Amino acid sequence: MDGTSHASGEAPGAGSGGSGGHVVPDGAAGVMAAEVMVAGNGLAGEDFTGPGPARGFDGDRLFRGLVTASGIAVLALLGGIILVMVAGGMKAFSTFGPAFLVSSVWNPVTQHYGALAPVFGTIVTSTLGLLMAVPLAFGAAFWLTQMAPARLSAVVGMAVQLLAAVPSIIFGMWGFFVIVPLMARYVQPFARHWFGHVPGLGALVQGAPFGTGLLTGGIILTVMVTPFITAVMCDVFTSIPAVLKESAFGLGATRWEVMRNVILPWSSKAVVGSVVLGMGRAMGETMAVTFVIGNANKIGWSLFAPGNTIASLIALEFPESPAGSVKLSSLMALGTILMALSFLALAASRILLGFAERREGRQ
Amino acid sequence: MSGTVVTERAVSGNGVAGNGASGNGVAEKPAISVRNLDFFYGDHKALRGISMEFSTRKVTGMIGPSGCGKSTLLRVLNRMYDLYPGQRATGEVIFDGRNIIAPGMDVNRLRARVGMVFQKPTPFPMSIYDNIAFGVKLHETPSRSEMDGRVEDVLRRVALWGEVKDRLKASATALSGGQQQRLCIARTIATRPEVVLLDEPTSALDPVSTARIEELLDELKKEFTIAIVTHNMQQAARCADQVAFFYLGELVEMDSTDRIFTAPRETRTQDYITGRFG
Amino acid sequence: MSGHQNGRQSVRQNGAVQAAPDRWKPHGALAMRRRFMDRLATGLSLTATCVALLALCSILLTLLVRGVAGLSLVTFIHSTASPGMNGGLANAIVGSLIQTAVAILIGAPLGMMCGIYLSDYGRGWMASTTRFVSDMLLSAPSILIGLFIYQLIVVPTGHFSGFAGSVALAILALPIVVRTTEDMLGLVPVALREAGIGLGASKWRVIVFICLRAARTGVMTGILLAVARVAGETAPLLFTSLGNMDWSVSLAQPMASLPVTIYQYAGSAYDDWVQLAWTGALLVTLGVLAINILVRVGFGRKGA
Repeated sequence: MDGTSHASGEAPGAGSGGSGGHVVPDGAAGVMAAEVMVAGNGLAGEDFTGPGPARGFDGDRLFRGLVTASGIAVLALLGGIILVMVAGGMKAFSTFGPAFLVSSVWNPVTQHYGALAPVFGTIVTSTLGLLMAVPLAFGAAFWLTQMAPARLSAVVGMAVQLLAAVPSIIFGMWGFFVIVPLMARYVQPFARHWFGHVPGLGALVQGAPFGTGLLTGGIILTVMVTPFITAVMCDVFTSIPAVLKESAFGLGATRWEVMRNVILPWSSKAVVGSVVLGMGRAMGETMAVTFVIGNANKIGWSLFAPGNTIASLIALEFPESPAGSVKLSSLMALGTILMALSFLALAASRILLGFAERREGRQ
Repeated sequence: MSGTVVTERAVSGNGVAGNGASGNGVAEKPAISVRNLDFFYGDHKALRGISMEFSTRKVTGMIGPSGCGKSTLLRVLNRMYDLYPGQRATGEVIFDGRNIIAPGMDVNRLRARVGMVFQKPTPFPMSIYDNIAFGVKLHETPSRSEMDGRVEDVLRRVALWGEVKDRLKASATALSGGQQQRLCIARTIATRPEVVLLDEPTSALDPVSTARIEELLDELKKEFTIAIVTHNMQQAARCADQVAFFYLGELVEMDSTDRIFTAPRETRTQDYITGRFG
Repeated sequence: MSGHQNGRQSVRQNGAVQAAPDRWKPHGALAMRRRFMDRLATGLSLTATCVALLALCSILLTLLVRGVAGLSLVTFIHSTASPGMNGGLANAIVGSLIQTAVAILIGAPLGMMCGIYLSDYGRGWMASTTRFVSDMLLSAPSILIGLFIYQLIVVPTGHFSGFAGSVALAILALPIVVRTTEDMLGLVPVALREAGIGLGASKWRVIVFICLRAARTGVMTGILLAVARVAGETAPLLFTSLGNMDWSVSLAQPMASLPVTIYQYAGSAYDDWVQLAWTGALLVTLGVLAINILVRVGFGRKGA
C-alpha cells in the first residue's frame, strides 16, 4: 500500500549509493558551484562513446549540478517574489506607516490609501465562499467515495474535476451574466422581504438590488473552490485502510456512521487541511471575483453591499496606476498582504495534509 | 427456537456461560448452513459449490493454501463483499431461517449478528472506551452506567481489563498489537453477535499474544459460534472442533478436528496437512 | 441451557414473543433514527454532488448558447477591431498559442529538472524546502505572479511584452510539472533503476533514459495539465503582455491573448464585442476542457 510513498524515498538512496562509488569523492567537489560544473565539463562532455564515467566526461556531476541548480532556481523564485513585492510596497508602507493596515480610505484624488476595505472584502468573500463550499465538497466527496457505484463515481468525479479546470475568467463571465441577474431579481428582494425588518439580520440584507456584492462573490468562489476541496477530500477518504472501514461495517454500522465515526476522525487533520487549502485558493482568486464584486472600496455590513477584494482591486486599479506612483506602491503593498495571507493558509494546509501523508506512509 | 434462547442469554450480559452449554450442543441445529455456494470476483469464480455447516457454539477452523477461498467464504457470511462492486454470490447461506445472500437482506442487522475480527488489528481512531461503545451504540441505547458495565465486562472477558482499566480514555492506537487485537475482539462481542468470524486473527501477532487469543477462543466458544480462518495448522488443531479444508475454491473435506488431522479421507488433505504443498 | 437464564431474560423473552420473534427486523426508535440519518446523509450528499454538476452544466450551457453565434470564419481570420468594424479574435488566438507555447518551453524543462532533483537527488532540509516552495507556487495567487513579472521585466525594459507574459505563465506552469515529474519518477519501480545501474549505466543515464522514459506518460500528463492551466489564465497577463488590438507575433511587443481580450470585451457596452467575448470564452473553455478530458481519460490519471 505504502509502496508509492516509499519508492520515491528509497530510490535516491539506492541510486546515489551506486554512483557515489565510482565518482571522485565528494567533499571538495561538492562545494563547487553548479555553474562551474556546467562550464567546466561542458566541453569534455561531448564524448558520448565512452561506456562509463571514465576520467573525462563526468555526466553524473554535470547532471547533478543542473538539477540542483533548477531546485535552487525554484527556491530563488519564491524569494524573488517576496523580495519584489515587499520592495514594491515599501513606498506605501513608509508613506502611510502602520495606519495603512487599519485605514479603510482609498482615495486616488487625495492620494490616501488604506488596506482595510479590500482586506475585509477578501476575508468576507472567501469566508462566505468556504461556508458554502465545505458542506458541498464534503457531501460530494462522501457520495463519490462511499456511495456511488464505481462507474458512476468515475464519471461524476471527472465532471467535478472538469469544473475545477474551467478558467477563472469564465466563472467571472458566468457569474456576471447568470448569477448576478438571479441575485438582483430573486435572492436579494426575497431576502429583504423576509429578513429586512428583523433586528440584526436587517443590516445584513440592506442595499440596492444590483446583484453584485460580497455574497455574489462568495457564491462564485463557492463554485470555484468546491471541486478543489472535493478532490482533496476524495483522496483523503479513499486513503483510509479498507480493513478499518470493514471493521466498522462489520459491526453493522451504516455508511454515514462509518463516515462520521471512523473516516472523519481518522482523517480530520487532512480534512481541515483541504479546507484551508480552499481558503488559500479563494483569497487569491482574481478574475471571477472582479466581475461580480461591485468594485467599491468601502466596508459595508450588508451581504449585498458592493466591495472589493485585494486581488480584484489590484486588477481593476492597476491600469490607472503609473509606475513609481504611491498608488502602484499601495497595490504592491496590498499584494504583499495577500501573499502573506495566502502563503499562511497554504503552509498551514500543507502541514495538515503532510501530517496525514506521513501517517498513511507509516501504516 | 433454541437459537433465540442462546442469543437472549447473550443479551443478558452477565457473561460467562456455564459448562452445560457445550454438552447440550450435540443435538442443536447448525448456526449457519451453506448450500451450493458459488462466489465470483467479476468473472473469476472463487468458490465452487460449497456446502457445509457451522455448528452452533463450536469453533470451525478453515484451512487451505493462499487463495483457496477460505477468506472469501468468511466474507460471504457477513456480506462484507457487498462493499465491492463486481463481487457476487449465488446459492444459499441460511442463518436463523433466512438466506442471507438473497437480496433485500438488511446487511447492517446481519453484521450486528455476525461479527468479524480481521487479520490486522483495526482499532478505530478513538479512545479504548469509545471503540467498544461505538458498536454498542449502533444497536442499543444503554445508559451511561450500563455502558460502563458492558465495557468492563467485555474487556474482562478478553483479559484486557487489568491492562487498560486506568486509561480507558486513552487512544486505542497506542496499545500494542496483541492488545489491539484483543480490543477488536472485545469490540465485536460487545454488540452481542451470535456468530464471530475471525480472519487469521493472529497472523500479525507475536507468539505470546497468539497464545492469549487462542485461550480466549476457548472461552468464547461457550457463547458464540466461531469460524476461524488460519494458515497455522497447529492453531487449527488446538482451537477448532471441526476443520474444513479448502483447495482451489472447493471444499475438499470437512470433519472433526481429530479425524482431519489423524485420518483424512482425501489425499489432498493429507498432503496439505503434512506440508507436502501449500 | 436454562441454567444461565435469569429473571431479566424471561421478561425480555416474553416481550420478544409478543412483539416479534424475528430478530431480523430491527425495531425501536434507535433503528428508525439510524435509518433516517443514513437516508438523510445519502440524500444530502447526492444533492451536494448535483449542485456541483449543475454549476458545470449551467456554465457549459451558457457558453454554448451565447458563444456559438459568434463562431464564424471571420472570428478566426480577423484581428480584434473597433466596435462595428467586423473584428475577430485571430490575434488573440495566436497570441494565446504563442505565449502558452513559450511558457511551456521555459517552464517544462525547468520543472522536469526540479522534479528529478526532488525525486532522485534532493535530501534533507533543502529538498523538503524546495518541495514546500513548489507547492506554495502551485497555489499562489496568479495575480501576484503578474505583479512580480511587471516589476521584474516590464519596468526595467520599459514596455509590456509577450515575453513578459510568457515568463509569468511559465512560473505558473513550473510547479505543476515539478509535482507530476516527481510523483511519476517515484512510481518507477526501484528494480528498474537497479537493473539499469546493474548494467553499469551511470546514474544520470538511468534517470534520463530509463526512468524518464518509463514515466513519460505521466510527465506528459503534467505538461498537458500545465498547458490547460496557463492557457486560461488572465490575471498574470494583465500587467505583462497587456493585450494588443492589432496583429502582432513579436514577443518584444505587447501581445493579445484570449483571456485578456475576453476580460476587456465582456464588460464593454458594444454588442459585437460582448459576442466576441462569449465566443472567445467558449473557445478557451473547450480547449482547456478537451485537454483535461484527454489527460484524464487518455492517461487514466487524476490531475495534479
